[in-house]
Amino acid sequence: MTARVQVYDPAMCCSTGVCGPTVDPDLIRFARDLAWLRHHDITVDRYNLAQEPGAFVDNATILAALQTEGPECLPIVLVDGDRIADAGYPTREYLIGLLASKVGD
Amino acid sequence: MLTVEKATFTESAIGMLARHATPFLFFTGKGGVGKTSVACAVGVALADTGSRVLIVSTDPASNLDEVLATDLSDAPRPVNGLENLYASNLDPEVAAASYRDALIGPYRGVLPDATVASMEEQLSGACTVEIAAFNEFAKLVGDESATVGYDVVIFDTAPTGHTLRLLTLPTAWTDFIETNTSGNSCLGPLAGLNAQRELYARTVEALADGGKTTLVLVSRADTSALAEAARSSEELADLGIRNQVLVLNGLFTATTVGDPIASALERRGAEALTHMPPALASLPRVEIPLLVRSPLGMKGLRLLAEATPGAGQPAGAMSAETASFPGASSMSALIDEIAATGSGVVMTMGKGGVGKTSIAAAIALELVRRGHSVHLSTTDPAAHVAQAIAGFSGGLTLSRIDPEVEVEAYRTQVLAGATGLEPEALSLLQEDLRSPCTEEIAIFRAFARVVAEASDRFVILDTAPTGHTLLLIDSSEAYHREVMRNTTDTPPEVLALLPRLRDPDFTKVLIVTLAEATPVSEARRLQTDLARAGIASYAWVVNQSLAETATTDPVLRARGLNEIPHIDAVIDREHRVAIVPWVSEPPVGEGLFALVGGGQPGE
Repeated sequence: MTARVQVYDPAMCCSTGVCGPTVDPDLIRFARDLAWLRHHDITVDRYNLAQEPGAFVDNATILAALQTEGPECLPIVLVDGDRIADAGYPTREYLIGLLASKVGD
Repeated sequence: MLTVEKATFTESAIGMLARHATPFLFFTGKGGVGKTSVACAVGVALADTGSRVLIVSTDPASNLDEVLATDLSDAPRPVNGLENLYASNLDPEVAAASYRDALIGPYRGVLPDATVASMEEQLSGACTVEIAAFNEFAKLVGDESATVGYDVVIFDTAPTGHTLRLLTLPTAWTDFIETNTSGNSCLGPLAGLNAQRELYARTVEALADGGKTTLVLVSRADTSALAEAARSSEELADLGIRNQVLVLNGLFTATTVGDPIASALERRGAEALTHMPPALASLPRVEIPLLVRSPLGMKGLRLLAEATPGAGQPAGAMSAETASFPGASSMSALIDEIAATGSGVVMTMGKGGVGKTSIAAAIALELVRRGHSVHLSTTDPAAHVAQAIAGFSGGLTLSRIDPEVEVEAYRTQVLAGATGLEPEALSLLQEDLRSPCTEEIAIFRAFARVVAEASDRFVILDTAPTGHTLLLIDSSEAYHREVMRNTTDTPPEVLALLPRLRDPDFTKVLIVTLAEATPVSEARRLQTDLARAGIASYAWVVNQSLAETATTDPVLRARGLNEIPHIDAVIDREHRVAIVPWVSEPPVGEGLFALVGGGQPGE
């Protein structure tokens, strides 16, 4: 089975965030990490609240989080459907740790 | 490829543009140069010779209805009084809003209100409107069935280089439109329009076909208008749109001897044309003389269509009686009030070409002359204010916010963190960095630095962020506070900015306009946008008014009289209005004092 990573972003103008109010180097770093994961055959899906709200409603975990914690819970990263513990965008090392068994297979 | 020879006395500029018309004509140029009037006059000239013509505006502040004297909608309607001529207003803000509503509507009540609000603000930006405008072009240019029955389609606006580059980036399409999972770009508003991909490709192709498309660059004999036309010319030529024509609109030749206003105006125009940027100098060019009034309605448009250089103007000097506006204030009275507060921010806002930089510099100099400590931050390298303050004891410090420098610094900073990105992702990121939203953000950062200085002196600025940027920063800050549960690296001056701008004792916003229909309606839109961010305007400044001058030149005099209803309308609506008469000295250096003297120019 292929591992799957899903990223639910807060409302953003663009995925790099450069249109946003402050430069967030984390967003670019994270985009690079996602590209790396894809390169290693991990399925990566990324949703922007401002453009694909349907994805947020269709996923029970995300909808529940929005309803109980509010929009401040975003971004949320799911690995094989499970919400990862880290708030914000996880580091590549953290993701590798979680995915290690699958990447290694 | 078509060529247009230089206008002669036997054929009008508009006649020549009409005779060489391609199926699509795009008009572009700086605000206030007369794009819409020229576009409509070409439409009338074509319709008069039997062509079936559609005129389309995608300007959110379109005044097509007014110019054509016809109530228009988003579907083509026949123009009053003319066979073969049709027109429509395709407002990209409306298109963006309906896109927004369609996207967000189903989630109201499903997602929390705060979440929905953050989506709405993100989808209100300049990028969304820009892409929505292109979408409207594409429906007409890329789909032949949409324009069946029209010989010529005239757009009174043109796509920007940023939009065209995004649409030609293969990455943007493959990553965003096809898979729609690896992230979004400024292309966001096109989400779900994969079916239209072919349409956009055909549109970009038609734009680059000189047999189908002409780009008409409209300018006045004015340095900054010419510079903007040159920028568009080069940028769009790089993207393949090489069939270009330059229209020099509103050229003025004095007909009376010894009128200082008339001869100064003529001299300034000639000066600007002498230094025309090379990108424009090599283009085919037509010239249109300054008319006594904005050409509105069929009669006005035909006058414009028939105008040949140096002909058709009223002759003989007119009375030098000046208009007076008892409800208006003067700049000196306005500055009395500002000076009484001892410190704070003064921002001049207005569309390009209304002279907001000169007004800002003049206020700064006058405050210095009165002994105040002032920091003037200007976007204009040519304001030449430093030399004018020699001899005054008060302190003036100067700084410059250069949009290009700020954007470049921002770009460098972002790209430095982007090493190792795939080439496709990198080119998408680079294009995001050229978006209008990015430019707004970059200038905003410089702006916030300067405003922070105004606690113990005056800070005068000739630039200001849009309401959208301010709201975005506000909501983002709230978001960061919530998520991170601590302060971010957002500088303290940014945190303090919005409360400061909302405090009428701290910040005074001057809306600068000209006494003409379009600049006034554009100024109102700026005012509304600022109000959205909770910022009220302090006063309106009607700049470069001929109504209060003593010119006897027949053209200028008639133009002055035509200003009166616009000035009256501003005075009716706004509680503080200052009128600045047109001055014969260029408003630089010592010449700036003439703007704030509150009396006749040259005083």
